Amino acid sequence: MSGVDLIGVTKVFGHVRALDDVNLQITSGEMVALLGPSGCGKTTLLRSVAGLERPTAGRILIGGRDVTSVPTRDRPIGMVFQSYALFPNLTVRQNIAFPLEVRHRPAAEVKARVDELLELVRLVPQADRYPNQVSGGQAQRCALGRALAPSPAVLLLDEPLSALDALVRTRLRDEIRRVQQLVKTTAIYVTHDQSEAMAIADRVAVMNHGKIEQVARPPELYESPATHFSATFVGSRNALELPVVSGRLVLGGAFDVPAPAGATDRAVAFFRPEDVEVTANGQGHPATLEVKIFLGSTTRLHLLTEVDGRQARFYADMPSRQALAYEPGAKLAVRIDPADVKTFALE
Amino acid sequence: MTATTATSPGRTREPLRPARIGQTIMFVGLFTYFTLPMVAVFLYSIATRWTAHILPDGYTLDWWVSAFTDQAVIGAFGSTLVLATLTATLDILVVVPAAYWSRVRNPRIRTIVELSAAIPFALPYLVIGFGLLQFSGIVAPALQGTFPLLVLGHAAIAFPFLYWAVDGAMAAAGIERLSEAAETCGGSPAQIVRRVVLPNIKPGVVTGGLLAFATSFGEFAMVQTIARGVYTVPIWSAEAIRSYSGESGSFNRLAAVTMVNFVVLFALSAAVVYFNRGQTVRLLPGARSIEQREQG
Ligand SMILES: Nc1ncnc2c1ncn2[C@@H]1O[C@H](COP(=O)(O)OP(=O)(O)OP(=O)(O)O)[C@@H](O)[C@H]1O
Ligand SMILES: [Mg+2]
Repeated sequence: MSGVDLIGVTKVFGHVRALDDVNLQITSGEMVALLGPSGCGKTTLLRSVAGLERPTAGRILIGGRDVTSVPTRDRPIGMVFQSYALFPNLTVRQNIAFPLEVRHRPAAEVKARVDELLELVRLVPQADRYPNQVSGGQAQRCALGRALAPSPAVLLLDEPLSALDALVRTRLRDEIRRVQQLVKTTAIYVTHDQSEAMAIADRVAVMNHGKIEQVARPPELYESPATHFSATFVGSRNALELPVVSGRLVLGGAFDVPAPAGATDRAVAFFRPEDVEVTANGQGHPATLEVKIFLGSTTRLHLLTEVDGRQARFYADMPSRQALAYEPGAKLAVRIDPADVKTFALE
Repeated sequence: MTATTATSPGRTREPLRPARIGQTIMFVGLFTYFTLPMVAVFLYSIATRWTAHILPDGYTLDWWVSAFTDQAVIGAFGSTLVLATLTATLDILVVVPAAYWSRVRNPRIRTIVELSAAIPFALPYLVIGFGLLQFSGIVAPALQGTFPLLVLGHAAIAFPFLYWAVDGAMAAAGIERLSEAAETCGGSPAQIVRRVVLPNIKPGVVTGGLLAFATSFGEFAMVQTIARGVYTVPIWSAEAIRSYSGESGSFNRLAAVTMVNFVVLFALSAAVVYFNRGQTVRLLPGARSIEQREQG
């Protein structure tokens, strides 16, 4: 078993810095999610680990061995692609056998290993079908089996669920996690879906513009985002831009917190919808209920308020039963515990 | 009027609409236009004499027997087959790796390949043949007028057909994606080509190979310019017409040879259509860019 070390990895395409001095240590058996918006360099980073891209600068170590200039086929990796990329001319069984056959393993060993993997990814009934005869979820399980066949040190997954529909997606996500923990392989999981990243990974690396902004365990990332970008990207958060007045950020009677270091003129206050305390006639900052969105056990209120002389909109979540009392147009008051407000200087 | 008949109750059979009748007439007309000459050639090849009447005066297999026991005819078919086979093989050996390379490693050579693939459509074969003759005169005079130079010439004019077919098959199979997946599976380049690339572009290679074969099989102008000494079926036919001096049976034998020539090319075309199952139009140059424009 072995981890992955990325040391100062940089990749430049023409004028685009797809990766900008990326440093990341992944310990053996750990699953790290690379999370970030489209074009932030997630795929480029994953492909660099696979050897499909050659970094412009920096080093990549797998299990302590420098593989920066090792060709893809000699790296101890397995990869799962967004588009499945199964070989259409081979059956499910033959696809999974492929990595073993190109390594010239004895036939008996190949058969035993493939049977074991078919069992693991639950594809025994579909073993002799061709890729165009199985569902998307089954195709991706086959791709997972194929990637794991040679027992790679690192499993690389590039948005493996984004071609699937919602129900299959959560099921296969949990399936991938189960399998990864069972075989105890190190894994890098690329996604732009924050809930997917938090659900599956031991740690989440938030990427933006080719840089890693923050690496943290999911609860830690959710509770205390380290940067402005992490705060915007992770969890659904309210962001209000407020003026700094004598070193403090104030939203009427809703909250009054110290301004972040370095903020002189204006700063951003982040707070989560579930931390907004709403009352019909209590204390706080006045807000008008615009729309109610029923989400199941909770209901989301869209609230309009006056901030610094302008209209601003933010959200509050509350148990659906409690929200029954409010109708659109209602004049409400809101308060947020100062401990739940994160502030960042404007960049 | 059509509206009333269509809605009137009690009608069990759909009336023949004018458009349908027009289509049928056009189809029958086209079919006749294409087949009548072939029927005439066939009848001529088995006619004893064909003078005053609409059908021959009598039938015989003599012309077929004498044509296909004639050493010149047998030799012409032999060299035509060898020439076409070598042309198709050479093209496959060169074009498939080049197309693959241009897709997975170096997209820049695509421009060059696609430009040269357009040349045979833009220039008459005679001109290309003459150019090749001039060029070989400078770089390899020993090759002038030889069979190998002719193979090179035919390979040059036939390769666009193979290129478009193979490149289209590679695009359809998503060969770049599959190659990368095979690489992450630990496959060496040779293993990837043999086990992943070739099986997934086979219809394209077969189709393109057949088209290259057919191009060489029926080609006349270039054989005439490049290699005077090479005696192919089209050359034999041309000479049979040119040297006709009234002796009986010479045109009937030509008809028999033409018939075989036609059957070979027709069988190749049928095979191309079969291997592409309704996608033959994709083989035309430019079809792919039109398709891409429609999709995006
Ligand atoms: N082969 C390439 N040539 C030129 N630029 C590239 C190439 N591959 C990626 N890029 C650029 O590098 C940047 C990062 O791309 P990358 O595919 O890694 O993003 P991503 O985070 O995976 O995005 P997505 O979520 O959309 O898949 C983008 O700006 C992209 O345009
Ligand atoms: Mg990507």
